[in-house]
Amino acid sequence: MNSDPGDFDSLLKLMALKRHEQPPPGYFNRLPGKILDRIERGEGQPRFWEKFVTTFAFRPAMAYASVLAAFSALTFSVIYSVKTQPQDSAQNLFKNSWRTGGSDAAYASQLSGFEPLHVINWMGNTNSSNAEPALPSLFDANPRDRNLLVAPVSFASPP
Amino acid sequence: MTRLPAPEPQLAEETEEIGDRVLVRRAQQEDMRAYDLLVRRYQERVYATVYHMTSNHEDANDLTQETFIKAFRALKSFKGDSSFYTWIYRIAVNKTINFLKQRKNRVLMSLNDVDFNAENDPDLVALVSDKNPRRDLNLSELQEKLNDAMQKLSEHHRMVVTLHDVQGLSHEEIGKIMDCNIGTVRSRLFYARQQMQAYLSDYLK
Repeated sequence: MNSDPGDFDSLLKLMALKRHEQPPPGYFNRLPGKILDRIERGEGQPRFWEKFVTTFAFRPAMAYASVLAAFSALTFSVIYSVKTQPQDSAQNLFKNSWRTGGSDAAYASQLSGFEPLHVINWMGNTNSSNAEPALPSLFDANPRDRNLLVAPVSFASPP
Repeated sequence: MTRLPAPEPQLAEETEEIGDRVLVRRAQQEDMRAYDLLVRRYQERVYATVYHMTSNHEDANDLTQETFIKAFRALKSFKGDSSFYTWIYRIAVNKTINFLKQRKNRVLMSLNDVDFNAENDPDLVALVSDKNPRRDLNLSELQEKLNDAMQKLSEHHRMVVTLHDVQGLSHEEIGKIMDCNIGTVRSRLFYARQQMQAYLSDYLK
């Protein structure tokens, strides 16, 4: 028995036996034909996603560019949604402000900078100092004013 | 795709002179005759690597075919940074290791016969001679014990032993094929041999 752990002479001689293990006779004459037949039958054709992965594996620059583009698109969409969200929510608050009274609408106006609808004191405010300035009446408007979107109504019977 | 019959023996001898680069370039243009020559040139080495790793002829047959098919499909992406020889070996090694990982520990050996030259190999004769404590052991039993011991190694250790001690590749070549440095190859080889020696201590003088 070999006692030296660093001396592998006997083992290497035994390993030579592996080199004598041979496949059946004629095997290597037939093998190339089988391989070429399988290639011609279209075996091993990469699927769509394999082509996709292979493209990236062999073209790192393309992979980096794609990741960068995806990241940019994601960042843009996040920023865009953050910018547009307060306006939308404020407008929603205006729409529903009649349910909650004026305080929500006033708060929403602070958020968005929009002038709120005239609902702040619709319940009736007894404090005159907080009263909203009265809107001009339609009856006081000049009917010839072209900016006025109100047309005078005629009650005369048609001829 | 141009499919031509296998080259005549005389032509095959002539084409021995044609370098791999030329054949690869032609095969990249779907010249099947060129690829046929590449297959014939490397089939024995690829088959042997896979066979010694799996200890199973049928598995080795399948994996060798799949290796060459995959290589053909990927040939257009082969830029020639390494030799075709290293590249095809790398495909075979990766395919085999993946296969063995899926197979896990279910080892089903289907060994090839030992050729008649083995009986005349002086080193092997010495191993089964009277001096051997297991002198009743014949070559095929010794073959089975040897394959058994190899299957007990991890895939990476078995691969290094196969490529170096059975196929005779250098440490540097193995490093390129297995994508590791020479130090790793040496340490894996030393550890694998120690393990093998321990498993086979009864059969080694």
